[in-house]
Amino acid sequence: MTNPQRALEIENLYAGYDAFDVLNGMSLHVGASERVGLFGPNGHGKTTLLNAVSKLIRPRSGSVRFMGENLEQRSPQDIVAMGLVHVSQANRLFPDMEIMETLELAAYTPRARKQRKANLEHVLDLFPRLAERRRQEAKTLSGGERQMLSIGVGLMCAPRMLMLDEPTLGLSPKLKDELAAAIGKISAEGIPLLLIEQDIAFVLSLVDRMYLIDHGEITREVERGGAVDHEEIMDMYFGGHASS
Amino acid sequence: MTMDMVSAILVSGLVLGSVYALMASGLSLVWTTLGIFNFAHGSLMALGAYFAWTMSDAAGLNLWLGAGVAVAVAGMVGVGILIERTVIRPFYDDKDILLITVMTTLAVMIFLEKGIQLLWGARLKQLEPLAPGRVNLLGTTISAQETLIVVLAPLLLGGLWVFLRYSNIGRGIRAVGQNPAAAKLIGVDVSKLFILTFALSAALAGLTGILLGSVRFITPTFGAEPLVKALIIVIFGGLGSLSGTIAAAYIIGVVEAVLIFFVGIYWAPSMLFALLIAVLMLRPQGLFGKSVR
Ligand SMILES: Nc1ncnc2c1ncn2[C@@H]1O[C@H](COP(=O)(O)OP(=O)(O)OP(=O)(O)O)[C@@H](O)[C@H]1O
Ligand SMILES: [Mg+2]
Repeated sequence: MTNPQRALEIENLYAGYDAFDVLNGMSLHVGASERVGLFGPNGHGKTTLLNAVSKLIRPRSGSVRFMGENLEQRSPQDIVAMGLVHVSQANRLFPDMEIMETLELAAYTPRARKQRKANLEHVLDLFPRLAERRRQEAKTLSGGERQMLSIGVGLMCAPRMLMLDEPTLGLSPKLKDELAAAIGKISAEGIPLLLIEQDIAFVLSLVDRMYLIDHGEITREVERGGAVDHEEIMDMYFGGHASS
Repeated sequence: MTMDMVSAILVSGLVLGSVYALMASGLSLVWTTLGIFNFAHGSLMALGAYFAWTMSDAAGLNLWLGAGVAVAVAGMVGVGILIERTVIRPFYDDKDILLITVMTTLAVMIFLEKGIQLLWGARLKQLEPLAPGRVNLLGTTISAQETLIVVLAPLLLGGLWVFLRYSNIGRGIRAVGQNPAAAKLIGVDVSKLFILTFALSAALAGLTGILLGSVRFITPTFGAEPLVKALIIVIFGGLGSLSGTIAAAYIIGVVEAVLIFFVGIYWAPSMLFALLIAVLMLRPQGLFGKSVR
């Protein structure tokens, strides 16, 4: 069953909150140095999927493997220590902490601590704006700066794979391009990537392959350069009204 | 008013402020990190004093200075861990954790007070001072033990501040308090730091009891009054701000000393409360607090 060529392998995953499931048997995989997109309407379970993988919530059934290892018995901190890093949606991080303090703290696991210096240089290189504002508290950062810090925090965790949840949410086109360039640089280093985004053109510019998610299930897979059926996507969003 | 009076008031305010700061900082730390108020904090203070009393009794006066205090503080860490495990941990995922733990920690308080009474009896006890003799401070003569409290409190609190600000674990504790989910996502073991924080706070309470136990008489309810003051100080200083808590502790200590001097010991507490209420009406977020947690 396990495939060493795969960084992440999710099979038949069910997960949700309290009484109801949001994920209804989700299956997908990300190759060893692959960049994969995840696209779907609001509220269809993209964030829930990442929460279930990083164990912020406990999956009801199904399996998640990272680098061939089953994560069922693993705690969130184990998973970070293994190198599977989740950069969560609209993370407000630690409001009263300064940028530098936050980045230093993020190298928390023993493995990350060993790489702290190199990774810090890397992050400040990637986001010079964070270097300029090193003493500023997270709560006073702009939306774009906070997203940069959020990704920077992910990189400080010494990721072997990154899962990014809408890193450009609510940003201006210019900032979006800036972040896209940074994400491109990160994945060019060979770190496998699972990227959630609402802008389909944006996702396709950054990934090798993309999944469409609908009501907690994968409904389609699109290869890079493959044709995207806009009608189908409109259908997903507007429940058939647009296509008729 | 003569200079003597001023310095006498100031010195007694400093002593009170130091005791309050030691008590309130533990309470404040638990509030910012675990999001609960620990009403057993006062009885933990008493327990620390009783532990030290038993140690000094058993080991003799020469030994207890180092070993006795260490053993008593270690005991408090153990008790802190036990309390966190039994009456706080089961409710972390409950949205009513704040109210539930008001009840469970009040229950622990009663349990400890009655337990102490059973084990050690209700008779007043007093510890031998860690520092014997009398000392001249700012022109006022006070016991060396009180001087020790005044000197030790800023050292301990400064150490706590450095720990929280610069050490990995201390930063982790602050991160957990500010955003537990984000802390988990960088690999912080949230429940481990909860225990650690609670144990640290219990140790601080116990240490306060040990220090104060040779200045005042130890009784099973010896921590009740400092607890009430510490609770007020945490709110008055601004919930969620450790430095605000510490500053408020010293301010309230000195104000209380002034009130005691002018209106006497009977009216001072109610005047103090009236003053606090007035301040909180003007600044509901507390003296140094931000408007939201
Ligand atoms: N903590 C929670 N408790 C209960 N229900 C939740 C919780 N978080 C999300 N949900 C619900 O689960 C469903 C899926 O939410 P999820 O956040 O996974 O969507 P999403 O695809 O990430 O949407 P978006 O694109 O808006 O971020 C939604 O109906 C949402 O209301
Ligand atoms: Mg989402």
